[in-house]
Amino acid sequence: MFKLKLKALGHPNPENFNCEDEKEYRSIVLWLEDQKIRHYKIEEREGLRNIDSDSWKEAYDTYQKDLVSPINSGDPNEQLNWLLSYAVRLEYGDNVTKYKDVKVEQPKQATPNVVSSNPLDNLDFGSSAFVAGVDRICALTGVGPHPNPKFRLSAVAKILKTAPHPDHNKGDASIVQQPNDVLKLLFIQDLRELQTKINEALVAVQSVTADPRTDTTLGRVGR
Amino acid sequence: MVVRQYNEELKYLEKVNPHCWKIKKGFQPNMNVEGVFYVNNTLERLMLEELKNSCRPGMTGGFLPGVKQIANVAALPGIVGRSVGLPDIHSGYGFAIGNMAAFDMSNPKSIVSPGGVGFDINCGVRLLRTNLHEKDVQPIKEQLAQSLFDHIPVGVGSKGIIPMNARDMEEALEMGMDWSLREGYVWAEDKEHCEEYGRMLNADPSKVSLRAKKRGLPQLGTLGAGNHYAEIQVVDEIYDKFGAGKMGLERIGQVCVMIHSGSRGFGHQVATDALVQMEKAMKRDQIEVNDRQLACARINSVEGQDYLKAMAAAANFAWVNRSSMTFLTRQAFAKQFKMSPDDLDMHVIYDVSHNIAKMEEHIVDGKIKTLLVHRKGSTRAFPPHHPLIPVDYQLTGQPVLIGGSMGTCSYVLTGTPQGMTETFGSTCHGAGRALSRAKSRRNIDYKEVLGKLESLGISIRVASPKLVMEEAPESYKNVTDVVDTCHAAGISKKTVKLRPIAVIKG
Repeated sequence: MFKLKLKALGHPNPENFNCEDEKEYRSIVLWLEDQKIRHYKIEEREGLRNIDSDSWKEAYDTYQKDLVSPINSGDPNEQLNWLLSYAVRLEYGDNVTKYKDVKVEQPKQATPNVVSSNPLDNLDFGSSAFVAGVDRICALTGVGPHPNPKFRLSAVAKILKTAPHPDHNKGDASIVQQPNDVLKLLFIQDLRELQTKINEALVAVQSVTADPRTDTTLGRVGR
Repeated sequence: MVVRQYNEELKYLEKVNPHCWKIKKGFQPNMNVEGVFYVNNTLERLMLEELKNSCRPGMTGGFLPGVKQIANVAALPGIVGRSVGLPDIHSGYGFAIGNMAAFDMSNPKSIVSPGGVGFDINCGVRLLRTNLHEKDVQPIKEQLAQSLFDHIPVGVGSKGIIPMNARDMEEALEMGMDWSLREGYVWAEDKEHCEEYGRMLNADPSKVSLRAKKRGLPQLGTLGAGNHYAEIQVVDEIYDKFGAGKMGLERIGQVCVMIHSGSRGFGHQVATDALVQMEKAMKRDQIEVNDRQLACARINSVEGQDYLKAMAAAANFAWVNRSSMTFLTRQAFAKQFKMSPDDLDMHVIYDVSHNIAKMEEHIVDGKIKTLLVHRKGSTRAFPPHHPLIPVDYQLTGQPVLIGGSMGTCSYVLTGTPQGMTETFGSTCHGAGRALSRAKSRRNIDYKEVLGKLESLGISIRVASPKLVMEEAPESYKNVTDVVDTCHAAGISKKTVKLRPIAVIKG
């Protein structure tokens, strides 16, 4: 645990640090204060320096209070994590010019890049055409202004979901009607493909289960 | 029932437009909503005459007129919108046949009523197309009719030729058309072109009595009696070329097969069992209705839920039944034409249910609500782009199959947006009876009926010729009147007219 942060802080042995070990834990806290945080004057660090003493815990609590740690009541690992982060922050603050231009190497993605087949996902939501389109729908549905067009679009969706038949201006009907018709046709095409696949699956199962029989001796014509 | 003079009764009825009448509150006691019915001039006369007759002194008892029945349904707890009478309406048990009514599922007092579904649960119509032309069929019409008659057992007490044991039956009740599909009796595309994809998921065979299962088992794959039939039909007229094209009906004279059947004795027993249970539930929950026949239970009560689960099983039975007959029809055609059903392009165009209750979402007063929609003698007719209709019909609207009376003609309609808002996406289901069965038997001679069909060039095979007059065209309203009214009122749209060339009947 904490390997990356320890390494960043230049700890001599980041690989083998075991935070579960009480003694190692105490010494790392002392190391942080001595080398990195330096919140106390050297003589004030006496309490933390007595690693084997029973009063170390008290000194540690006071230390955290003095640092105004937000998690002084959390579990020891969380506390240490905060201390480490705090130390990293100080380290960065001391050497801004050195770290400023460092580029973070993009970690390799575990999953292959999925290219969405849904054309809606590939829309350019920032384009002026999109913004203008949203403006027009908003005018029709009475949605007020907001700087983010996506936000306004979700407001429109909410209105359409709760009121299935919004009253729209008859004169502008074709503006809504045409894209509506196109969407319906696309939907029907998708649905047909799905239904065909369902039928194919049913036929595949039938090849295993089907055994239609008739027995004419059972038949009887009524009165 | 309130007894009033005919003139007094008329004050509660108002003609809204040439095809639509309103029944105002007060026509019957406790009406929660108004009623409405759709008619043209001829049907209007029939409808009002029926009411007039019932107003004559001494006419108590017997059937209630359709208008009164619509109003009684409007008085049931939890009903929303309007109680709707379709043009083919005629008196039935509790609900008139041709009445649809929707109940709000979120209202704890809302009810489900077996009378609003009917005894023949999921009675419906299926239409198969072929790539044959009338002239291909004419020379062997008699043989083909005989072959169909041999394959599909008909009549009261008939037994099917598809072997099934009790376990198959349980599975079929639960799986509906998925069972037929698994066993290889139908094609995957058939399921796609069927209301509910041929399976109601809430079916629970354990809620069905042993008696119903025993009655149903030997009857699977049989047509039954009454108004049920299988007909070889040809396309007579195309009103909407695009709509017809989407259904694969491209030209005049193209041959189709229409199968009209239901859940046989099984559904009847399920309904009978439920009525007994519901009478108890009504007493317990203090549900008041205008007519004893409107037995019902709260949707969320044990009785209500049990009925819905058993009804779903009966619906599945009916789909398996129509699927089995689809298989047998394909076999009969394949044998006669020595071609595979595939090569004959014998696809199911659609399969509708006209006796059923379904949970659906509709817009009531501008809000989406989940409703239990009862359709008795009424066909679902969803508009284009409705999510519950097959992808192939997304642009045309749901095909609505209207079987005419024996030897007349049948129609294919499509659903409209107007029907969705006015009648909860419902339209007519057939011709609708004009004379009672008993009256038909007294007034009409069966030999005359058969002779007339023959003179029209229609081959006929019947199990019980002596019952044929019950189904004679004279006993029914004119299906063209009915369909034209639905078209003019805008609740569905005429697409294709079909004319029969051979009939198989119980």
